[in-house]
Amino acid sequence: MDFILNPFVTLLTFLYSVFNHDMVLAIVVFTVLIRLLTFPLTAQQQRSSAAMQQLQPEMKKLQERYKNDREKLAQEQMRLYREYGINPLGGCLPLIIQFPIFIALYEAIIHALATTPLQLLDLSGRLLVPGLSTVVPMDNMWLGMNLSLAPNFASGSILPILLPVLVVATTWLQFRVTMPPPAPPNADGKQDQAQAMSQSMGTIMPLMYGFFALSFSVGLSIYFIASNTIGIIQYALMGKADFRRAFGLKPKPTDKPAVKLESRTSKTTKVSSNGKEKPTQKADKAKE
Amino acid sequence: MAFFRRLRVIGVLAAITVLAAACASLPADSSWGSTSLFDSKILLAFSDHVVEVDPSNGLALKSHDASGTVRNDDTGKALDWLTQVNANNVTYHFYTHPVQTDDKTLIAAAYENKLFQIDLNSSVVADTTGITVPGNVVGDPLLTDKFLYVPLSNAGVVALDRSKLASPPVWTFDADGNKGVWAQPLVSADGSTLYVASMDHNLYALDAATGNQKWKAPVDLEGAVASTPVFNADKTALYVGSFGNKVFKISPDDGSIIAQYSTNNWVWGSPTVVGDMVYATDLSGYVYALQDTGSALKEVWAQKVANGAIRMSPYVSGDTIVVGSADQNVYWLSAKDGSTTFSRPTQGQVLANILPIPASGSITEPIIIVSTIAPSQQLVAFTLTKGTSLWAYPSS
Repeated sequence: MDFILNPFVTLLTFLYSVFNHDMVLAIVVFTVLIRLLTFPLTAQQQRSSAAMQQLQPEMKKLQERYKNDREKLAQEQMRLYREYGINPLGGCLPLIIQFPIFIALYEAIIHALATTPLQLLDLSGRLLVPGLSTVVPMDNMWLGMNLSLAPNFASGSILPILLPVLVVATTWLQFRVTMPPPAPPNADGKQDQAQAMSQSMGTIMPLMYGFFALSFSVGLSIYFIASNTIGIIQYALMGKADFRRAFGLKPKPTDKPAVKLESRTSKTTKVSSNGKEKPTQKADKAKE
Repeated sequence: MAFFRRLRVIGVLAAITVLAAACASLPADSSWGSTSLFDSKILLAFSDHVVEVDPSNGLALKSHDASGTVRNDDTGKALDWLTQVNANNVTYHFYTHPVQTDDKTLIAAAYENKLFQIDLNSSVVADTTGITVPGNVVGDPLLTDKFLYVPLSNAGVVALDRSKLASPPVWTFDADGNKGVWAQPLVSADGSTLYVASMDHNLYALDAATGNQKWKAPVDLEGAVASTPVFNADKTALYVGSFGNKVFKISPDDGSIIAQYSTNNWVWGSPTVVGDMVYATDLSGYVYALQDTGSALKEVWAQKVANGAIRMSPYVSGDTIVVGSADQNVYWLSAKDGSTTFSRPTQGQVLANILPIPASGSITEPIIIVSTIAPSQQLVAFTLTKGTSLWAYPSS
């Protein structure tokens, strides 16, 4: 863990020294940098999720066709992924990479804002740039809250309550905004399983992050809020955010496909946001 | 089916939440033990307890009532002299050694903003509400005839009237930027001046009675100062180390820097002064012998002794220097050139200052008490000359 934690602690300390000894600003800038660095992964995750969503009609057909042959089903599913150049783990990998970043940042905040002797001793071995030790110990108080500790409700201030609420709200909004458009229901009118799971995640994840905000340091809540907000802005800048849909309102009508799926073999398929296939004749014409 | 899949997702997320919560509750509040010799007994403050240990055999001493009878628990077993405070769902931690305020009472300062009065005979804390101080306590409090000075790691220093500890502080001193004070203050020989080393890079001289600032070292000490300054024998100079990788010689009269020496890493332990020699340690495992020439601190030798940090002040006895390290070893060095004579392993990092105990009674030769951060070996006793291990507390 040190190989990721030490650079994080050093960067956080450097930002603190650059931004007028303001730890909150340092965490926000740190978050921006992390989001920029992981942007290719985030974009890939979004593309993968949307593509997987739009392949659902095809997947359902395969499931129906090979319902008694699981091995063949798996082979055909992989063939379909290969055909459209989709990595089935593409949606998970960025999330998996985010997790150690989140853990490392939590640790980095705790270590950088050392409040006990052993923490401070530990910090001395983590700063990779020698001159940074002049800013130690760093100011860990912000609006009456200790950034390295969990919110303290005994203080009587509204902020310890407001922060977890903001974490829940921004996590929820980010999830809603970045979630691909829903696929049409099955023939039997039931909701797709993957979509049902996504919706469950959309409910549970904000609550889970809210729990983290209550249990972990205030500094981590700042990271969550900043990270979620930046994620929403990123998605909006990519032109894919639909806030009307996020709030359960009728989505904006658009002909623009959510993602352009291109078969690597015979034909090009555009799948619009409502999940309907629009095969083009380009590949066929080329054959003629 | 969909219901069970959803349940599985919830299960996985719940597991992550529980794991994360477990991570959040990892102890983030630890320090090394603090030892002191009190009435020929070792007082050890370690994590969540204060205990009295017999220096001759390393066994916990027993708790007595006012009549001097050993106290027993419900099963008839003799109770150890051990103080732990859990009150209002808070477990209090003691990183500093207790001080005796009268013939019946010890005062123990807890990290969690509290002072507790401990009965000297029984180790019982009569009032677990404690006396609230306006900050966390990491540095040892200092007791003088009139005051108890308590350094606060996230504020400054408060001076309490030692006869009325529960009364509001007589005075409070806030260092710049609330960086806090992690070191025990130092009082001048005449008791009029209190020297406070602050994490805000400064050394302050305060009027010990009023807390008014007499002077602040006019030059930034280039880093936080976490150790108590020490006087030379004739009290004409103060020596202090800083996180700016420096050892300073400072005038006690006006705070001017007389001399300085650059080290390889943070200096956390107070220097040890013997005659015109100043011995210091740093967190890269170096030990330094510096000669005070009056206007300079001249390096006599600098030795890389340990593979881990040396946080403590070096203990110097004649031609021998003893230091402990975060690499879990205790080193005996030659004071002449710093070469390692021998070393002894311990079960945990050795960060606290060494407690020397002279030969007396059943202790036939001088011994040193080393405190490690391992709960399984909170104290180890070695003979000073040969490093023979005598006992460990708690005994295995």
